[in-house]
Amino acid sequence: MSTDVMIYANDLSKSYGSFRAVDKVSFEVKRGEVVGFLGPNGAGKSTTMRILTCFLAPSAGTVRVRGFDVFENPLAVRESLGYLPQRAPLYLEMSVLEYLRFAADLRHLDQATFKKRARSVVEVCGLAQVLHKEIRQLSHGYRQRVGLAQALIHDPPILILDEPTSDLDPNEKAEFLDYLKQIGQERTVLLSTHNLKEVETACARAIIISGGRVVADGALDEIRAKSGRVRYVVSVEEQAPSGSGRTPPKKGEVEDALMKLKGVKKVAELPTDERAHTFEITSDRDSDLRADAFQMIVQKGWVLLELHRDTQTLEDVFRHLTIGDERRNRKIVEPGAAASSANDDDDDDDADAEEAN
Amino acid sequence: MSDTAMEVEKDDAKDSEKLSDSPAKEANANKSEASRPEGGGHFFMNMWTIAKRELVGYLNAPLAYIVICGTLLVVGVQFFLYQGGIWQVDRASMARMFQFIPGLLCFLTIPLFTMRSLSEEKRLGTIELLITMPVRDSEVILGKFVAALGMVTIQILLLSLYPIMMFVAPWHLGAFEWGPFWSGMLGLVLMSGAGCALGLMFSGFTESQILSYFATAVALLALFFIGSVVELVRGPVGDVIAFFSFQSRFDPFARGVIDSRAILYFVSISVLCLLVAFRSLESRKWS
Repeated sequence: MSTDVMIYANDLSKSYGSFRAVDKVSFEVKRGEVVGFLGPNGAGKSTTMRILTCFLAPSAGTVRVRGFDVFENPLAVRESLGYLPQRAPLYLEMSVLEYLRFAADLRHLDQATFKKRARSVVEVCGLAQVLHKEIRQLSHGYRQRVGLAQALIHDPPILILDEPTSDLDPNEKAEFLDYLKQIGQERTVLLSTHNLKEVETACARAIIISGGRVVADGALDEIRAKSGRVRYVVSVEEQAPSGSGRTPPKKGEVEDALMKLKGVKKVAELPTDERAHTFEITSDRDSDLRADAFQMIVQKGWVLLELHRDTQTLEDVFRHLTIGDERRNRKIVEPGAAASSANDDDDDDDADAEEAN
Repeated sequence: MSDTAMEVEKDDAKDSEKLSDSPAKEANANKSEASRPEGGGHFFMNMWTIAKRELVGYLNAPLAYIVICGTLLVVGVQFFLYQGGIWQVDRASMARMFQFIPGLLCFLTIPLFTMRSLSEEKRLGTIELLITMPVRDSEVILGKFVAALGMVTIQILLLSLYPIMMFVAPWHLGAFEWGPFWSGMLGLVLMSGAGCALGLMFSGFTESQILSYFATAVALLALFFIGSVVELVRGPVGDVIAFFSFQSRFDPFARGVIDSRAILYFVSISVLCLLVAFRSLESRKWS
């Protein structure tokens, strides 16, 4: 394993009794990456993060943080990490400064280092006004900031943040994401969330987890292309160009012509006004149809009103990949059938895609 | 985030670039961290940091003062007024005080100081943040134990105000037998150690402070008062009960006898309960 792999998980599983919260999850996070850890509620995000921080022990699998095994060297693992648990559970009776000092003491920072680091995290997290307030008096947004400040106090190479933006207002979120981009330049960040916009803003890479399994892992663009299909929309004017003397295109004619293009899988008509025939084309992701479609339409002498390729939003992909969870929640699955229904997800793709679209 | 904050962060980024290790250095750092003995000198430091936080927490909350003042008041009433008070005893002795105080500690002081140690952390989830710091579970348990015992010890030491005020200053009511008094105090601290460990153990079992309080109070009172049964039950059964009774173990201390078997007993109970508390904290990992 190269030293650049900061977080390494291989076949990581965690069972609570007969319930598998995390099921053979494998991933790597390299130095300097900001990775979004995505999934619906209850997908196993927090459990995975708790294993990475040595709060829970995995039932099976290997986890190494900065090369240290969570079983063999948990203290070294924790020293390398800054961790912000969900909803930032802090000691309410302490003041912000007391809390930061407490965290620094447990991390064995000396007084001078603490002062330097504290100044930095207080400015960065915007805590100067509340430094001497008791944490119980702070709003959830501020508590979250304090949680982030304690995670950064020892300048850790790795940050693990469990839904850090859940209690923030939109302005705070934007600030936080800005800041995350900066710290991501020199740190490794694993950020769990179910807010896809945040991932698109702050992360270059995402791991999507659903029902305890990794269903997608890669650069955001790759994940967007993950469904294996690209959608095009083509509109052709119903009237022939005036003065050309051509017959206006018929609906069936256009449909057939589009069907003949290379790589087209499916053509379906979309409802439009009287003026145009509009079709939705589904194709493989490898080829780009637009050039061919344009050439064909020009040759036929039709008037092209619209031609565009729909890049799937991350949200579509996310829904597409994780929708099985919601389905399982809504139907009672026989214990034996649970595993097979999880495997069935791939077969359900078409139906899922339609739902997602 | 304000612009100035941004600038500062940039500066900071530069700083840390300067400081940040080249890959080779980082590898060395990794090595030295890995080779650092796990025992380390940090054990007591961490334990003290945790204990200090707990103690400050106790002292910043009204509960500690209410408990301490309440206990002093009850002891004072018992000491001076109950069945004629100290005036009825011919000798200048605290023997009667030592009959009464252990029960009060068991019922009130110890369970009140240990009830929130772990249960509150579990309820609020703060335990997660604490344990994911580079600390051992044992440091957490011992830190909390030291803090709770510290508070009970403060309470016990404050009790010495009574004899000091009666026999040293401002009043001088006669020559006081300090020997049995200090041995009694030692006995109280040892017994409180066992009590705090037991309380911490129950606190680790539940998220509810109330439940933790009652479990501890009932268990401690039972351990204390089975001693009274000894007088009724003779023979081997009585011996067994006497073996487990806090009261039978404590009595010699009140008479000025430092009993090494009793010390061993209280220390064993403490260690046993702390081990159970440690295991129950660790069990979160496997649940």
